[in-house]
Amino acid sequence: MADYQAPLRDMRFVLNEVFDAPSLWASLPKVAENVDPDTADAILEEAGKITTGVLAPLNREADEQGCKWNDGEVTTPEGFREAYETITEGGWNGLGGNPEFGGMGMPKTLVAQFEEMMQGANMSFGLAPMLTAGACLALDAHGSQELKEKYLPNMYSGVWSGAMDLTEPHAGTDLGIIRTKAQPNDDGSFDVTGTKIFITWGEHDMAENIIHLVLAKLPDAPKGPKGISLFLVPKFLVNDDGSLGERNSLACGSIEKKMGIKASATCVMNFDGAKGWLVGEENKGLAAMFTMMNYERLGVGIQGLGAAEASLQSAREYANERIQSRSPNGAQQPEKAADPIIVHPDVRRMLMTMKGFVEGGRAFSTYVAQWLDIAKYAEDDEQRKHAEGMVALLTPVAKAFLTDRGLDTTIIGQQVFGGHGFIREWGQEQLVRDCRITQIYEGTNGIQAMDLMGRKVVGSQGKLYELFAEDMAAFIEANSGDQALAPYLEPLAASLERLSDVSEQVIKQAGDNPAAIGAAAVDYLDLFGYTALAYMWAKIAKAAAPKAEGDTSGFYTGKLKAARFYFDRLLPRTVALAEGIRSGGDAMMAPTAEEI
Amino acid sequence: MPEYKAPLRDIKFVMNELLDSEQHYANLEGAEDATPDMVDAIVQEGAKFCEQVLSPLNQVGDREGCTLSEEGVKTPTGFKEAYQQYVEGGWPSMTADPNYGGQGLPHSIGLVISEMVGTSNWSWGMYPGLSHGAINTIEAHGTEEQKQTYLTRLISGEWTGTMCLTEPHCGSDLGTLRSKAEPNDDGSYSITGTKIFISAGEHDMAGNIVHIVLARLPGAPEGTKGISLFIVPKNLPNEDGSAGERNAVSCGSLEHKMGIHGNATCVMNFDGAKGWLIGPENKGLNCMFTFMNTARIGTAIQGLGASELGLQGSLAYAKERLAMRSLSGPKNPDGPADPIIVHPDVRRMLLTQKSVAEGARALIYLAGQQVDIVHSGKTEEERKHADALLGFLTPIAKAFLTEIGYESANLGMQVFGGHGFISEWGMEQNVRDARIGMIYEGTTGIQALDLLGRKILMSQGEALKVFTKQVHLFCKENAEDEQLKEFIEPLAAINKEWGDLTMKIGMTAMKNREEVGAAAVDYLMYSGYAVFAYLWARMAKVAQQKMEEGTSEEMFYNAKIQTARFYFKRMLPRTRGHAEAMLAGADSLLDMPEDAFII
Repeated sequence: MADYQAPLRDMRFVLNEVFDAPSLWASLPKVAENVDPDTADAILEEAGKITTGVLAPLNREADEQGCKWNDGEVTTPEGFREAYETITEGGWNGLGGNPEFGGMGMPKTLVAQFEEMMQGANMSFGLAPMLTAGACLALDAHGSQELKEKYLPNMYSGVWSGAMDLTEPHAGTDLGIIRTKAQPNDDGSFDVTGTKIFITWGEHDMAENIIHLVLAKLPDAPKGPKGISLFLVPKFLVNDDGSLGERNSLACGSIEKKMGIKASATCVMNFDGAKGWLVGEENKGLAAMFTMMNYERLGVGIQGLGAAEASLQSAREYANERIQSRSPNGAQQPEKAADPIIVHPDVRRMLMTMKGFVEGGRAFSTYVAQWLDIAKYAEDDEQRKHAEGMVALLTPVAKAFLTDRGLDTTIIGQQVFGGHGFIREWGQEQLVRDCRITQIYEGTNGIQAMDLMGRKVVGSQGKLYELFAEDMAAFIEANSGDQALAPYLEPLAASLERLSDVSEQVIKQAGDNPAAIGAAAVDYLDLFGYTALAYMWAKIAKAAAPKAEGDTSGFYTGKLKAARFYFDRLLPRTVALAEGIRSGGDAMMAPTAEEI
Repeated sequence: MPEYKAPLRDIKFVMNELLDSEQHYANLEGAEDATPDMVDAIVQEGAKFCEQVLSPLNQVGDREGCTLSEEGVKTPTGFKEAYQQYVEGGWPSMTADPNYGGQGLPHSIGLVISEMVGTSNWSWGMYPGLSHGAINTIEAHGTEEQKQTYLTRLISGEWTGTMCLTEPHCGSDLGTLRSKAEPNDDGSYSITGTKIFISAGEHDMAGNIVHIVLARLPGAPEGTKGISLFIVPKNLPNEDGSAGERNAVSCGSLEHKMGIHGNATCVMNFDGAKGWLIGPENKGLNCMFTFMNTARIGTAIQGLGASELGLQGSLAYAKERLAMRSLSGPKNPDGPADPIIVHPDVRRMLLTQKSVAEGARALIYLAGQQVDIVHSGKTEEERKHADALLGFLTPIAKAFLTEIGYESANLGMQVFGGHGFISEWGMEQNVRDARIGMIYEGTTGIQALDLLGRKILMSQGEALKVFTKQVHLFCKENAEDEQLKEFIEPLAAINKEWGDLTMKIGMTAMKNREEVGAAAVDYLMYSGYAVFAYLWARMAKVAQQKMEEGTSEEMFYNAKIQTARFYFKRMLPRTRGHAEAMLAGADSLLDMPEDAFII
């Protein structure tokens, strides 16, 4: 297993050369207050050090140890407490947080890079800061001033961590049917009672307090999703002076035995009249959750990306070292017993596929982060609204496509190792197991696809889709005179046309038959994702092309070759996807349950 | 873990209705015992054993794994007893040579049993499964004495076997292996070296373990042409054939793996262990190749099993789990939500698994019949044809089925949502167990090179024509059938395109040999989908006929047609992407300087 190295060179390339993030930051006054290129670079550098030096070395052993549950207490694997302390001291938990309450106010374009490093180095651990950041976002957006003042500073600092308590044994995707109850008390607080499952980092020994954001129903609340409210329920009650008070009546009943992310505690949480406070309005809990959903979903997509990057690093090192068989064109290293396997075309196919997904994915996550920054910080209403539309459209793609391709990538990385890929000590199989959950939680990828196609594309009658198509078309148009880019722009234009045709068709199909959305959704999201990544690779090629001549490092020429590989070998998958979608939904809906 | 139910109805459909096993067995030499009643009884008995004995041990095996101590390797609770029952039931000898205690039944019946064993408990099934390799080797290349000593006991199941090929530095490239065999005066050899990834290399289930070991003789030529094959028993046989003194071979450690925890994957150390040459000197790899196809079909079953088990688990869950309402209005108005099987995307996942599992079954059984004919066909011509067809189908079955079987297992897990990730439901175990199928017994990449390079291009495309001709005839025969048009037309188009693509790649490969490796995996996947298209069209035809004749099982046959339709509409289009990618050429793979990967 290669030691994880933060891919700083590529992150800088994406931020500075592909997207010119410094100009974006300078154009957003609230961002410019907090960050300039030098600060950003120093943050990247430090993030690289801490993730490679502190988090990555714990990853393998922590998977073997897992978390231990004993009478409600959860013990984390060796080294986790110390690592959490280091992360806390560095202020990393509050990197993107609101400066008014102690956050650092960094833009998502930058935070996304830190997240990728953290998730690539140690996904189990990375979930803790990620959940805290999510809870902070919801609290910052919807909590009362009093709640924010009381909880946010300690959460941004990491002294307290956060957890999101949504799922119940019978309700995951369908939160409308949850049963957890909240009874109002005279003092304005509520007594929360119910059982929540799959609560990531719901209990552990790394932070002094754990702040749960819990979905529950008020007495006489309407049925379904419109009767759900959000509550803040701390593990320890907090006194008026901010010190910790008595233990609240909630407890971790058990932790799950899982396929992966074994070093993160997945808890069953029992709330037994636990004291909580309403966050946001009554019965508007789901809506409150949705404001942080875009950030969280991109964050999960980035988990897929991080795992993929880690897998690629190991696979290419192994492919350069492992010697096996001769190149079809004769010995490349005659002094050795065999050639390194990187000479074999099929091994290269695997490595190039990984590179195509990882580096294209990194550009895409940064692209989406850029829209999040504009949506949050732009001062111009129009600009903000436009960006919000892009975020709404692209978020499900980022979540599902980056995790689907993330899993593909880790599986390929495992395959490059041959039999050793199946053995735990080499680390590749752990990446597959860890990555697998990202396709499921935070809305399964099937749900993301329904969100993209149903709520966003069809729901807006194509208006949201148009925003993206126009962005792509403008890029193609603006660069149409550039001969160096012609090999990319031509297939890019064709794939945009394909996606637009299919989009138009699905809008039409959905009008006639609501089931058509579900039948086409997953293939549609894939089609969208492959097209979006082609766009990213064209942008990468544009940034690399002027520097490729005389490039002795191989970095820029490598980018151009990887772009070509993407267009030649990966983009053709869109042809298959489009054909599957066009065939309609009858093939799925005609069989009865018994026939299946 | 889903409780395994042997899919007997579908097994019978493929055996009897699709592949007419009765006629097939009647045409074989010496298969008189394989009467329909007999075959049926064997399958029923096998199903019972797998459902009642093996399936309940599957999760136990995963949880406990194997442990190594001074006393050797201990297998999970219940594994040993299950093996005893298996031996008492006479299962190990079913398809083996009657001259050495076998029952001489056709291999295709053995594959049906292997399917059920493998689906109910793959880790357990590997213990008797590995014996097959040793049995085949000794049967084909052993001396009479070796057969009397080893073969009889392997066939009875008293002893088990292993295949010791891989070494730490070599897996795909066996030409560089280092284990040595020094001749002794008594005609035996002293074997020294380290072998890794030896499945069932050491365990507590049988009285002795017979290792078939690849090693080099002194002065042997370098590379693949200097490798010989040896029998190295764990315990040296006494004069009377019973297991005697311990040989100098031992299990150094067990691997910690992603899955198949119930099977012991051993590092085996040979320290001057006594062994005997089997087959001619330096021809060890050739000897292995004589039954490579059979072994690979055995591994292909893992893809079938993974999709079948995933389907059984997820289908049951999809009917029970309530979440959201159907888009066309409530289907379960009395409940708080509808069962998730009403949702189109859940159906997509279920139907994908169904089309994979049932298509895989058809492919495995079709290949099984070719194995029968190769062994017991009545004419040389029949045997040659079957051998060519089997050679063609094997790499496709091995690689394509394990690849889409793995995809299918992942879908089974996805249907469970978050619960899929939790161990107690068993779906994630199915995924972890299935993953190795794409790696061992020749990785997908190696199978693809075998198919495109060794088989198809080296035969100037003849190997492909053996199959496409059959497809062509089928399409011609049914060209006028209006009902089947939706299947025949796209099948005929794919069949033609398949030949065209092969020609094109052949042409570019003549100019640059790298093109073969660059196109191979896409070519193999394309071929897999094409083979499935043929099988699904044939299954649709059978079902159509039954419906026309009138049947009490309308639902079963209608489901076949629906699944075929799903396959053609939603799965077969994947060939578009593979076709385009394989024609894109090798340049974009090979231009990349190695250093540029590092950045």
